[in-house]
Amino acid sequence: MPLNDNDSLAGQSLGQATTTKSTEALFTEQANDFDAVVIDANPSQAASLAKAATALGKPTLVGQLPGDLDVLSQADALLMPAHTWRFLPSIQAVKRSIDAGKLGEPCLLRIHRWLPPESTPESIAEHILPDTDLACWMFGGAPEKVWTLQSAANPDYIQFHLGFANDGMAMIDIAGSLPAADGYFSLSMIGGTGAAYADDHHNMNLLYSGGQPNALRTNQGRADLTGQLQEFVEAISEQREAAVTLADTSRAAAASAQVIESAQTKQVIEGKECN
Amino acid sequence: MANPEKTFRACVLSVVKHDYLPRAVAAHPRFELLVVADDADQPDWVHERNQRFADEFGIPYVRDVAKAIAEHDLDLAAVSSEAERHCDLAVRAADAGLHVIADKPMSTRLSECDQLVEAVQRNNIKFLLWNRNYLPALIQAKEVVQSGAIGELHAIHVDFYFSKDAGPPKGARQPGDPPINWLERQIEAHADGSDGGVGIEAMGELQIEGIYPLGYIRMLTGADVRRVFARTATHFHQANVDNNVDDLATVSLELDNGIVGSLCIGRIGAASHPDIGEIKIHAIGSRGGIVITEARPEVSIHYRDQPPLEFKNKRIANENDFLLMDDFARALDTGCEPILNARGGRDIAATVFAAVESGETGQPVEVTPLK
Repeated sequence: MPLNDNDSLAGQSLGQATTTKSTEALFTEQANDFDAVVIDANPSQAASLAKAATALGKPTLVGQLPGDLDVLSQADALLMPAHTWRFLPSIQAVKRSIDAGKLGEPCLLRIHRWLPPESTPESIAEHILPDTDLACWMFGGAPEKVWTLQSAANPDYIQFHLGFANDGMAMIDIAGSLPAADGYFSLSMIGGTGAAYADDHHNMNLLYSGGQPNALRTNQGRADLTGQLQEFVEAISEQREAAVTLADTSRAAAASAQVIESAQTKQVIEGKECN
Repeated sequence: MANPEKTFRACVLSVVKHDYLPRAVAAHPRFELLVVADDADQPDWVHERNQRFADEFGIPYVRDVAKAIAEHDLDLAAVSSEAERHCDLAVRAADAGLHVIADKPMSTRLSECDQLVEAVQRNNIKFLLWNRNYLPALIQAKEVVQSGAIGELHAIHVDFYFSKDAGPPKGARQPGDPPINWLERQIEAHADGSDGGVGIEAMGELQIEGIYPLGYIRMLTGADVRRVFARTATHFHQANVDNNVDDLATVSLELDNGIVGSLCIGRIGAASHPDIGEIKIHAIGSRGGIVITEARPEVSIHYRDQPPLEFKNKRIANENDFLLMDDFARALDTGCEPILNARGGRDIAATVFAAVESGETGQPVEVTPLK
């Protein structure tokens, strides 16, 4: 897959076949040299690159899209937004249990996500989008009611309720104020007939090196990235829609906007179903 | 300071629910059970349970509360009745000059909790609301927070999912079947200990068990809850559906000192967890965070032909009940306040009632302060 000169080192590490001077040149002069496009650019660039790629009929996997997705709504080829968080093995296992009916109707999704400051996105919308997306995905719709609470003592903290149809509820807290080191993630899905717990706390090993033992989190590696890429490739080869669509991103972005609106207005936000 | 060798003489005012409370009183060397008492106009099932407990301990059962108190030179009363009678019995004991230990929840009405706080103050007696703040994991959580290891506390979250069943699952009622009578269901549930909501008045999980996680939050923060936002629903149990009370709830909490918190609570059914349930505390401070599993320490036991509902992981080193009684003896000896006194219990009840109201209205609700 060709890459811009600026990415030559990264490209070499990926075994690139060729280089190009610009994306314009890539899309106009070398369009026959590649079959699909993966975009890892900042949000403002990502949308225009994705639009150009899909206009050529190239299946495109794109991360970090901007809030306004209208520009991409009429894509001419498969367009898969990167929701990497969905492809973590633990999350996939929970979702498969829901889809198989093992847990019954989803009732409560509980997420605790703590991050050290250096890994916390600058924008609050980026900060909360993965978890609003997980909630919308697992409940299969957009929230009907949103309530947000922030901490005056800790500006890097946010807590929000998402109320879904059929009395489904998600309660999520995100803190970006842990000391520098590993983060922490815990997801519980309580269903009508069963429950699933994906919890870093369950997956700790211990290191003894004097004093109190240290907890070592077992690593899921980057199976999230490979899982996402696998889905992109399979969607292309099977000529079907990808498991993640632009509508999913729009829905999560709208829910995130409601979370922020509730935080700013200190009001319950409701009745803005957007899917 | 009172004589630390003194044995405190106790009566039991009704013992219709879990009997862990009067048993804890009886088991502690500083306390002695002398009599079980209740009102004569109680129904037969109440008298039967009271009599059975009295017989087991070889003490009399008196169907007249005032008479029992007058005739036994008592120091304290242990109240373990239906929830709607907790405050009435506790106030009567307090007005007779007895210290009081009462089972949870404090009451089904906030006004009665207020009356109890007033009676405790007026009679200058000690009151302990039963709680789980002395579980080993809670003692550890308190030590960590108080040590300053995570800095100043900013946020605290408790997930409190009991995986007990509560009668037929939601959707089990056939067309034409009558709705489940709450009291009858609770009386039946006594056999397996799932009758925490025993009484005429139906109570949701927030009301029945909310005291425990809110007790944790109160102990760890030392702060009052000022405002709540809650969502409540009935997802699991037909008795809860038929009686229009929640079995699942999420609550946001705004506390003093800028602390925020949350509570997720539910009776999620036995199929949803290998043990009694998933119960965790997450606390975030200015310098770090802590994750506490309430069940620890525990030991895993698995064997062939193990009954499916037998917990595979068993809690160990749990001295909560004994330590609560230690705590109360210390309060009586020294005049200090018990770990969860009447004011604390009342404020927790006020938080629960505000959450129930928020769940009904869909709006945040201010917690009613004590007048």
